[in-house]
Order: sequence, then structure tokens, then C-alpha cells
Amino acid sequence: MTELLAVRDLAVAYANGTVHAVDGANLTLRRGGMLGLVGESGCGKTTLARALMGVLPGGARITRGEARLDGTDLVALAPAERRARLWRDLAFVPQTAMSALDPVYRLRDQMREVLCDRGGLSRAEADMRAAELFEAVGLHPRRLADYPHQFSGGMRQRAAIALALALRPKLVIADEPVTALDVIVQRQVLDTFRSLSAELGLSAIIVTHDISVVAYLCDQVAVMYAGRVVEHGPTDAVLEQPSHPYTMGLMNAFPDLESDEAVLAPIEGSPPPLSDPPPGCRFAPRCPFAEAICTREVPPPVTLAPDHWSACHRAPEAAALRQRARDPLTWRDVAEAAA
Amino acid sequence: MSTTLEQPLVAAYGLTKHYPVGRSLRQALRGERPVLRAVDGVDLALRPGESVGLVGESGSGKTTIGRLLLKLTEPSAGQVAFEGEDLGRLSRSATLRFRQRAQLVFQNPFDALNPRFSIGRTLTEPLSNTGVPKVEHADRVAESLRHVHLGDPARVLERMPHQLSGGQLQRVVLARALVLRPRFLVADEPVSMLDVSVRAGILNLLRELRDTLGLTTLAISHDLTLVRYVCERTLVMYLGKVVEDGPTAQIIAKPAHPYTRALIRAVPRPYVDQPRDALPLHGALGDAASLATGCRLRNRCPHAFDRCAAETPPLAEIAPGHRVACHLHTT
Ligand SMILES: Nc1ncnc2c1ncn2[C@@H]1O[C@H](COP(=O)(O)OP(=O)(O)OP(=O)(O)O)[C@@H](O)[C@H]1O
Ligand SMILES: Nc1ncnc2c1ncn2[C@@H]1O[C@H](COP(=O)(O)OP(=O)(O)O)[C@@H](O)[C@H]1O
Ligand code: SF4
Ligand code: SF4
Ligand SMILES: [Mg+2]
Ligand SMILES: [Mg+2]
Repeated sequence: MTELLAVRDLAVAYANGTVHAVDGANLTLRRGGMLGLVGESGCGKTTLARALMGVLPGGARITRGEARLDGTDLVALAPAERRARLWRDLAFVPQTAMSALDPVYRLRDQMREVLCDRGGLSRAEADMRAAELFEAVGLHPRRLADYPHQFSGGMRQRAAIALALALRPKLVIADEPVTALDVIVQRQVLDTFRSLSAELGLSAIIVTHDISVVAYLCDQVAVMYAGRVVEHGPTDAVLEQPSHPYTMGLMNAFPDLESDEAVLAPIEGSPPPLSDPPPGCRFAPRCPFAEAICTREVPPPVTLAPDHWSACHRAPEAAALRQRARDPLTWRDVAEAAA
Repeated sequence: MSTTLEQPLVAAYGLTKHYPVGRSLRQALRGERPVLRAVDGVDLALRPGESVGLVGESGSGKTTIGRLLLKLTEPSAGQVAFEGEDLGRLSRSATLRFRQRAQLVFQNPFDALNPRFSIGRTLTEPLSNTGVPKVEHADRVAESLRHVHLGDPARVLERMPHQLSGGQLQRVVLARALVLRPRFLVADEPVSMLDVSVRAGILNLLRELRDTLGLTTLAISHDLTLVRYVCERTLVMYLGKVVEDGPTAQIIAKPAHPYTRALIRAVPRPYVDQPRDALPLHGALGDAASLATGCRLRNRCPHAFDRCAAETPPLAEIAPGHRVACHLHTT
């Protein structure tokens, strides 16, 4: 079986069940794959990532669905069992690297804590492994003697990645690992992931709102909107032939260094409040192609090619819609209708 | 007429800002005072109505230049002229006038607004502070909201910042800068904290303001992708110095400075089929404290040769309107 992770109909609620930040999310990850999870802020990316890791904040809980890692449903595991798997089976690089690192300890001590206490290595073994890990992410092992504040933002991000990789987990989830970095440091961090995937067969979910990061790094992409995954497939297929109108909108709004496009076409409006999402397709209020059925029925996933699906009632007409989506006027009309 | 047109709105000559840094015992014993050269001898000129991008990696001195041009910090050496007047010698009243005509748009809209002020109060405050007669306030606020396309002004004015989305907040921040009818705007990373879908709208808006109001804009970013949508000209900074200055399209298509080349190659593209080879740049960010002479890129530059350590390359014209500071281009 090449499927490492399969998430089915996962739902997560905050605040006593009044905010469904994730509401029926589906996604899959191949062993050795890199999956990009994209969407606007507030779509539930961080919540989904934390739910998979079992590190949701207080007041949040998984209300339904399953998440199978190598066949074992993580959702059904007892909390103690889940914690035992953290670092060993799955590891997390949180949205701000600083929160993964403890400011009062040298990096070497933080490595030892994971490698000795959780991994059962001796101190000498741990130090050797820590040096290897630092080299793997492009940091000089000498820097293990430093405190986190002595690192630049990009170095901190790489140290957090090294820590996540310490016990060779099957899966790493990194939340916005390069968003705050300048383009040159960003490239170094992305290349760190690329070489770890090529050399160690690392499997990872990269959470980001930057489509270019997905295009550069990931072989699969899941597009999230208002708590659900709306399109999922191989990166080239999804970016070249986006089949969900939300993906089409994102691609249009995205600036490229050399495109001829003189103006960008923003998707007008913003994602709905997750305490009170619209019925049917949640993108309908912003979608230029919405029809009567869209506001009545939740669109089921439509398979367009092996591994490529889109949860849109009009997915079979995707090619024609793509043509229309390229025209900025198509999007402006929705804004005017809504105003 | 032609002379006033040719006079730059904003110009800097030998603009320099040094910050003191901690010194080692040995340096202290020798009486040395090491400094961080955040901005080091920059000459630049912005023509009226021009939109110029300022790009460079983190710590290269972009924000410091923006603050110097707005007189929010004083230079260690060199000077800034606004409409031909030396900012260092402005009278009290001239300074007040300058504060109206030159405005800053902050890096992060979420921090830029007072969370306890309604949008209406946020927009009126600069008018009261600068003595604009009260009878004009309502019109001026409505005018600035119109410029940023913020829907129905009556509804927006009573809102509090937390009731607006990131994109709306950024429009309010822009409106607050525009309410004083400035001629010069410094936008420091105006969209880096915003979502892609929202960014597009703000970038379009900046272009429109440039065209309709004739604003002179300096847009600061580490990302050329964003700058190219708003700015016809771009300055590239590396460790406190401008290393390339030219038409944005030309800089992207044919970057002349080795650092600019790396910067452009580092930008990820929104399609799968893109180059992924190593960047033509060694090592990590250089150290602005240590390299006083020679080219500051020399430790990271794949083309460095003897002369690069001995002489600081001057910013010299290689084509009309295109300047580069690199010995590969000097003879
Ligand atoms: N008030 C200060 N005191 C001391 N050093 C400072 C001060 N402000 C800036 N610096 C230093 O000056 C250099 C340039 O900083 P600046 O904020 O201008 O960079 P930047 O190009 O805007 O970077 P970024 O892209 O990260 O915003 C940096 O090394 C910074 O640490
Ligand atoms: N601790 C929390 N308590 C209540 N609501 C939350 C909490 N964290 C996030 N949310 C809400 O859940 C939704 C999804 O947020 P998040 O998962 O952070 O999205 P993303 O990472 O895509 O930006 C948002 O509406 C957000 O306001
Ligand atoms: S289901 Fe309807 S509203 Fe939703 S994305 Fe498809 S066409 Fe648009
Ligand atoms: S002057 Fe020398 S070191 Fe500097 S960029 Fe040019 S070739 Fe490289
Ligand atoms: Mg998030
Ligand atoms: Mg800055």
C-alpha cells in the first residue's frame, strides 16, 4: 500500500461546538509524498494540521471522521497513545518556529530531550544524531551550542525542522514554514525539504497560502475552503487545470514574476464565518458560476482523473469555466451582484 | 516649467545611518566604536508621480531608508531633500507641512491601527492633529474612503478595527495616509501580511492611486513579484547599499548585478515546471558591521575577484536609467 495517510470526513469544533473550523475534510498522502495544503487564512488549515497531530488547543475537539496513518485511525486512539506517537510517528513544525523551540535551552539540550527521553538514545548517540540532523537541514553542528535567539528567522525554522525529524517520523506536518521569510532564506528552507524528501524519503504536509511554494515543492495539493477540502490532486494537474472555481480564483489572483497579466483579479469578498456557514456549496456567495443547486446541496467530490477530484456541482464543465475564469470581469460581476 | 518637472520630489545624497553595536573587550581597549552600517552612502532621486520599488533581503536596510526619507529618524551623515528643501534644516512650520505631505503605510495593518478607535476616529485624527478646519473633516474622510473603495462610508465609519478583515484594514491604513492629501507615500511591505486573494486588490489599488492621484510612491518589499505590479522602477539593496537601480521590467528580464540575479532566481513560481538549481550565491546573510571597504557581496558572490576586496564598486550607469554597483560592469 502506498497510501500513508487517509483523512475521511474529519470535523473539528471550537467553542463548545459552535465553530466548525474543519467540517468534513478529506485528503490522502502517498508514502514519500509532499502534499501542499492551501487556502485563504481562516479556512481551517492550522486547525486541520493540529487535529492530525493531536495537539489541538483546549476547547477544541474532533467531532467526527477518521485519520488513518498506515492503517491505524489516529482519531480512535486514547490520548496517551497519541502522545506516545508524537515525534516518533508524526512530528509538527508549528506556524511560528519560535514556539517549537524553548528559548531558555541550547539547541543541543532540546535535541537531547527528544532523542534521549523519547527516543531512548544515549547522550553520546543523541549528540551524534543531532549533529547529523543539523547538517541535513544545512546548519553547522557547531550551532547546536546556541540558544534560539542567536539564530536568524530562517535558521530557527530549519532548527525546528531538524527537531521534528529527530526520531525519523513517518510524517511531518509544517504549518506555514516559509511565510515569514525573505525569498532567499525561503528558498533555502524549501530546498531543505526537497533534499530530505529525495534522500530520506520524508513524507510531509506543507501548510501554506502561497501557491508558488506548492508548485516549487509539492507533488500533491489539497485546496481548502471554509473548513473543507474542495480540490485535491497532483500539483501539475491542479495548477494547470484547476477544476474548482475557488482554485481558479486563487490562480488568477496570484502574481507571477513574468506573467503578461497587467492586472490581477482578486476573488471579491472573504470566506464565510465558520460559526454560520452558508448552506450547500460554501463558495457559492463568491462564485461567478453558482447555480440554484449550489445553494441547496453540498457538492460531492467529482473524480476528474485518477487522484484528481473537485467538490463542485459544475466540475464536469470545468474546462469551459476555466476559460471564463481567466477574464477578470467574470469576478468583478460577482462583487457587483453581491454589493 | 520644465525645471520644476525635472526636480526630484525626494532626493537623498550620501544618505547614511549607522547604529552602534556591542564591542568586544579588545575593541573597547583600542577605543574602537564598531557600528552597524544599516544604510551606507545612498544616493537616490524619486521624480514626481514616480512609483519606485525597494527590494532586498531581510536586514538590508529598506525600512531604515524609508524612515530616513520621512524624517522619522535622523541620518548619521548625508541628507534628504523634499521638493528641493533639506529636511535637516526645516523650520517648525515647514516640518509640520512636510508631515502632511509625506506619509507612511505600515508593514502590518493589524498593528497599525488603535484597536480602541473607531474607523471614523482613526481617519479624523490626522486632520485634527494637523489643524485642518473641522468643517472640512467629513468631506476629507469621505474622499479618502472613496479612493480606497471601502464600500459605504457611513457603515464603515462606526466600525472598530476587529470588525474588519485584513484587506479592509489595509484599505483603512491607506485611507488614513491619504486623508492628508500627501504627495509622497512610503509603503513598507504593504501586502506581506495579507492573503493572496486580498493582496491582488491592494496591489491594484496602489497602481490606481499612482495613476489617479499622481502620488510618488516608494514600495518596500523583499518580493519583486509584488513590486513589479506597482513600480516602474526598482532599487535593489544589499547590506545598506543600493546595488542596482533601473526599470523594473529590465531588472527582472536582465538583472545585471550578481545579487539581483540570485534574488530573482530565488522567487518561486506558480507553476510546476520551474528551475530548481542552486542559487548563484554562497552562504548566509553577510555582516554589515564588518565589511567597510570593497564589495559587500564578495564573500557570497560566485564572480568575486581581487578588485572586489580592494575597491568599493560605485553605482555606475550601464544603460540610460540603469545603474549597477559591480566591478564586472566597470572598466
Ligand atoms: N533602531 C535600531 N538600532 C539598531 N540597529 C537597527 C535599528 N533599526 C535597524 N537596525 C539594523 O539595521 C539593519 C537594517 O534594518 P532594516 O529594518 O532597515 O532592514 P529591512 O531591509 O527593512 O529588513 P526586513 O526585510 O527584515 O524588514 C539591520 O541589521 C537591523 O538590525
Ligand atoms: N482557539 C480557537 N478558538 C476558537 N476559534 C478558533 C481558534 N483557532 C482558530 N479558530 C477559528 O477557526 C477557523 C480556522 O482557523 P485556522 O485553522 O487557524 O485557519 P488557517 O490556518 O487556515 O488560517 C477560523 O474561523 C478561526 O477564527
Ligand atoms: S458548486 Fe456551484 S457555487 Fe460551488 S464552486 Fe461549484 S459552481 Fe461554484
Ligand atoms: S563587485 Fe565583485 S564581488 Fe561584488 S558583485 Fe561584482 S563581481 Fe561580485
Ligand atoms: Mg494558520
Ligand atoms: Mg523592514
